Amino acid sequence: MGFLSGRAARAIVAIAGSLLLMAAGPADSPVNVPEPDGLWTGPARGYTPATLQGATVLDLDSLDALIAKEKPVLLDVSLEDHRPKGFPENRPWLPTHRSLPGSVWMPGAGAAPLDPAAEAVLLARIAALTAGDRTRAVVAFCRPECWGSWNLGKRLVQQGYTNVFWFPEGIEGWQDRHPTVATKPDPDWEARPKPVRGEGAQR
Amino acid sequence: MKHLAVAFGLSLSVLTSPAWALGAGDDDSERLARWKEIQTSIFGERKLEATEAMVKIDAPNRAMDASLVPITLTMPEKDKITGLHLVIDDNPSPYAAKFTFGPAADPGEIKLRVRVNNYTNIHAIAETKDGKLLETVKFVKASGGCSAPMGMTDEEAMKGMGEMRMKFAGDAAPGKPMEATLMIRHPNFSGMQMNQVTRDYTPARYITKVEVSRGSSNVFTLDGDISISSNPVIGFSFVPEGKEPIRVVAIDNQNGRWEHSFTAPAVSN
Repeated sequence: MGFLSGRAARAIVAIAGSLLLMAAGPADSPVNVPEPDGLWTGPARGYTPATLQGATVLDLDSLDALIAKEKPVLLDVSLEDHRPKGFPENRPWLPTHRSLPGSVWMPGAGAAPLDPAAEAVLLARIAALTAGDRTRAVVAFCRPECWGSWNLGKRLVQQGYTNVFWFPEGIEGWQDRHPTVATKPDPDWEARPKPVRGEGAQR
Repeated sequence: MKHLAVAFGLSLSVLTSPAWALGAGDDDSERLARWKEIQTSIFGERKLEATEAMVKIDAPNRAMDASLVPITLTMPEKDKITGLHLVIDDNPSPYAAKFTFGPAADPGEIKLRVRVNNYTNIHAIAETKDGKLLETVKFVKASGGCSAPMGMTDEEAMKGMGEMRMKFAGDAAPGKPMEATLMIRHPNFSGMQMNQVTRDYTPARYITKVEVSRGSSNVFTLDGDISISSNPVIGFSFVPEGKEPIRVVAIDNQNGRWEHSFTAPAVSN
């Protein structure tokens, strides 16, 4: 950073410092975020609560233990990379998503509200993945400061799943210690009916 | 690893690439296959040789801020270098930057700041006068850099767009390269950043070209991309001879064009 002016360097340090705080994980959120009554309908990105009523919050150690013990269903609701509008056709656009091995990636499935057709596909897919067993362990995750996985966990609790886990550190937390694999979106989720809408919303 | 080499039809030069030693724990064969795909999309059938002799990457192993990852590229045999490519493998738009050096350049070192979207290999490829492509790689841990919001409104982020500053390091002396740092005020919106309030994506607005020249002599031309951090800062060097100011022209993808001239320290005789 020696090539920056003192002022710019200080600004960058301040910004980097605040981002470091944000990256420290929900348990360390500088603000105490209360659980919303139902699903969170605010911005998808932001500090999340430390808890999820009816579900168990996992750190990496407890996720490792859970995977070793009972092979839970791993559900990733991270958003897909958004191709910028008007991005030149002649430049390579090669989005890739690396996730926990064995996870099912349903991009944007943590959005709320979710239109009824998409919600039906999501719930049917989870029912299939758990073979209809609502006591089966299910882990919801995305990335740090992502409400999507909190919402998915909440939805599962609302649907009567009794062994719901939320892993708020998400992919970033996982790859601190473990390998990730390039993962494609779940085909059933991708095939859901999509309402016509403008660029942006829910993606 | 032998079976992987067969599976991907690798040349020996690629096998000796440090990529094998880096990114340990992740699926190296997947990463290598991706690099092959990107490489072909940029360089076609041209052959790349792995070496650290022509270009080195200095970057933090773990970045504090994924949207502002400092990268230093060093070219020890600078007299042979005509161009430089920077590829951030796991970014959705991996081809981050291309530098083409002109006669007024001293291409020994380039510094810039980039966005990193995921734990990734970063490749630097030097192009030499005899037409060779020489690659090196470094694994960097950072994620979310391309879609990270700037933490201010779009209007605030665009304030003063196109303003520039240039800093020169030290006094000019004959034969001694002059180091300079160019700072351009520009949000370089990636088009992947969501406005937290409207929940729409802020349209991509990024610098596509920066031309730095002195008189009729080109220092370098940068072809940029959405992977370059907001408010680009570019460190470079030029040959000290010459009295004309350093002229910078920056162009973005929305037809923005800005031109500024800076007086460089002159060699005193």
